[in-house]
Amino acid sequence: MSAYLLKRLLTMIPTLFGIMLITFLIVRLAPGNPVSLKIQAAQGLKSTALSQEVTDQMLKLYGLKVDLPAGYENFIKDKPAPVRKALEWLGQNTIQFKIWLVNVCQLNFGMSFKDHRPVLEKIREALPITLTLNLLEFLIAYLISIPLGVYSALGRESAVDKGVMVLLFILYSLPTFWVAYLLLMYFASGDHLNWFPLGGLHSEGYETYPFLMKIGNLMWHLVLPVITMVYGSFAFITRFSRSTMLEVVKQDYVRTAWAKGLPRRQVIWKHAFRNSLIPQITLLGTLLPALLGGSVIIEQIFSIPGMGKLAFEAISSRDYPTIMAITTISAFLTLISLLLSDIAYAFADPRISFEEKQQA
Amino acid sequence: MQRRPSFIVLALLVIAGLFSACEVQAPKDPHTLIYHLGSEPDTLNRLTATDAYEGRINGFIFDSLIERDNATLEFKPKMAKSWEVSDDKLVYTFHLRDDIKWHDGKPFNADDVIYTFQKIMDEKVDAPHLRVYYKDIKNLEKLDDYTVRFTYAIPYFKALEFVGGIPIIPKHVFDDGKDFNSHPAGRFPIGNGPYKFKRWDTGSQIVLERNEEYWDKTKFPDIRRIVFKIIPDDIVAFQRLKKGDLDMDSLNPKQWVKQSNTPTFEKLFAKHQYYTPSYRYVGWNLRRPYFQDKKVRQALARLINRQGILKNLEYGLGKLTTGPFWIFGYEYDQTLPQIPFDPAGAKKLLDEAGWIDHDGDGIRDKDGVKFSFKFLIPSGAEFYQNLATIMKRDFAEAGIEMEIQTMEWATFVQQLNSRDFDAVSLAWSFGYDEDPYQVWHSSQAEKGSNFVGFQNGEADRLMEEARQVFDKDKRAELFHQMHRIIYDEQPYAFLYSGPALVARSRRFENVKVYPGGVDILEWKVGKQP
Repeated sequence: MSAYLLKRLLTMIPTLFGIMLITFLIVRLAPGNPVSLKIQAAQGLKSTALSQEVTDQMLKLYGLKVDLPAGYENFIKDKPAPVRKALEWLGQNTIQFKIWLVNVCQLNFGMSFKDHRPVLEKIREALPITLTLNLLEFLIAYLISIPLGVYSALGRESAVDKGVMVLLFILYSLPTFWVAYLLLMYFASGDHLNWFPLGGLHSEGYETYPFLMKIGNLMWHLVLPVITMVYGSFAFITRFSRSTMLEVVKQDYVRTAWAKGLPRRQVIWKHAFRNSLIPQITLLGTLLPALLGGSVIIEQIFSIPGMGKLAFEAISSRDYPTIMAITTISAFLTLISLLLSDIAYAFADPRISFEEKQQA
Repeated sequence: MQRRPSFIVLALLVIAGLFSACEVQAPKDPHTLIYHLGSEPDTLNRLTATDAYEGRINGFIFDSLIERDNATLEFKPKMAKSWEVSDDKLVYTFHLRDDIKWHDGKPFNADDVIYTFQKIMDEKVDAPHLRVYYKDIKNLEKLDDYTVRFTYAIPYFKALEFVGGIPIIPKHVFDDGKDFNSHPAGRFPIGNGPYKFKRWDTGSQIVLERNEEYWDKTKFPDIRRIVFKIIPDDIVAFQRLKKGDLDMDSLNPKQWVKQSNTPTFEKLFAKHQYYTPSYRYVGWNLRRPYFQDKKVRQALARLINRQGILKNLEYGLGKLTTGPFWIFGYEYDQTLPQIPFDPAGAKKLLDEAGWIDHDGDGIRDKDGVKFSFKFLIPSGAEFYQNLATIMKRDFAEAGIEMEIQTMEWATFVQQLNSRDFDAVSLAWSFGYDEDPYQVWHSSQAEKGSNFVGFQNGEADRLMEEARQVFDKDKRAELFHQMHRIIYDEQPYAFLYSGPALVARSRRFENVKVYPGGVDILEWKVGKQP
């Protein structure tokens, strides 16, 4: 087992490096330039022709222009213009990638171009909000979907089973933004019902509330966003738990359990249900990175400053350090959670082993 | 077991019911003004900030040396109690008030002005957008603790506005050895204006509180707190306004005309509109063969149904414009007639210019070049999408093929900067006493904001001359001439100028609408209607 673990951990390094390199290249090759965006776009595009000197100062300040080694400079100096440009781009980006990589190894993701704050600080602000929302979403989604799947599997092909599936697929097909607006208009606007607030995370003046009221206020604000996030995930999880349950109830040991005359409750929940959970572990692999991701649309409509908004704004303003930090962290988490789900598999199912098969 | 799902639903409903029954929030404070921001400023560091939101907030936290009078738009003393300008218009001397304190109690004096200027010029400071405004200042001296003197290298009619409006920052706060760009004071500004910064909850709100020690008793505000709520979605923001979560919001034309005329809304809110200097336009890239001839551009202007666009896309809210200045400004030549929507006249002009459909494919051509171009618009803006659709139809009827090219903002900007577009639609907004140099001078055609590449010797001469004319009437004369040249050349098809539309709670009294908008500092808190 430990040899396997070591091997897996070691192969993670080139994978992660590859992801970082490709992301870096995509980000750098995307059209648009953070410096000119910042100087003129923010001022309504109005700007006097900036001298090359000012632009260079800016590029240096943002670490987008570094000194190339003298030897390399000489090498590219008398090449034809397009070749020189390409080589210069290559040289610049190689050095900048190296600098970035060295910093990341020291857990320094740099400063955001947008506001000169450390990228990690910005993520630290947005992450708890997204985590809270996603944890609530997963909790509710699984709490409802798994029993529903089991229930459907037991009454397979019955009217209830079919009805549940049709209903879930209808929910699955409803566009989020539309549902979000409907919920807001009917339950929050005060035109119809006035049960919930119209977005945001806190009421005006919440700073002065006592602790419990702060929590209550937050939860009150989260009801509609969580509903919007959760209704679409029922279909998949229910479907998945229904099919795994169907697999299991056909097994011999379940038939044995029935034959032994065990009560229904024990057969289903102890013998069948527990074993049907094993394939769910594969879903774990996607869970950890998904905890981090936020939906831009939901956050936009409900005025929630989460990870989706952070990532979206970073991309639209070409805030390279923030984009790189978010992709690197989610890539890392994806790799880790894939590993974790494999290990969890071995624990849950003794038949799976990572030891090399002994040669016969 | 079979009852479990319904039990959970039931539990959720109970929780929801509990929440709605007790409304987990405290009642509103009438002395707090809650204002909508569509997005958050990147920073509140006055020198490194580049977005419009920063100014809206810092405008309450900081004062400037001089300010414009709300009604006349002329400059009057603020932190400078008086100022002198030398006869050659190169030397500006400001006498500062000696009774002003920063919000942390330290006195404001000439050192703060000097420090600010040094930081703007410091190449390590992320403020190149400001540096271009102050690059002609040769020297700034401190004559004594409360007197500063700016010396310009060349005379410029906007110099007083620039030096008088320099965004002053407290030296004692910033000059502590920390990196300037990432200084914590950018997240927690210490100013000297009527409001103090209180807190900033990233992505949610920014809260200001009245500065009880504010020196200017004539402008002492009645409103005790201002909360800027960050709500990215305009539909939601408008709902929150209606519900009473917001006290003030900008409306779009549809909300203004269709959604805000119920008796309840009108009882709770008053609406105001005013025109700040801005206009929308369609710009033709004059480097392209089909846009080089003035006759063609005059024809294209006749092919855009501006009246119809204004009526159908903006509910008639706006004023058609003929040129590059503020429609209510002294620079604007009111005598020029609007160009009518006139497809027949346009076709005639195109024929005269030699753009005729030689090969009978329904598209005009000349010297083997087809009149077929791409119209670049920013993505995500419904207005431009509709405008493009209308134009495409009317152009096709006149034998011109137009393809709509929608691009994400950063890419859009790159296309403009590399001049890699055929035609584009955008809006300019600008200040009072506008200097059209950045947008229209030929020197700005390669790298500045003269994207379309407008080059006209006479216009260049007028702009250069106007920059050194300090008499408004004389400058108006020069700009009228320039307006007429641009009107004749039609490098842009000028569309219209749209008003700012604002709704605010009737709880506030003494609300006056000036050319530049409303002044919250004057407002008095009254009874909720």
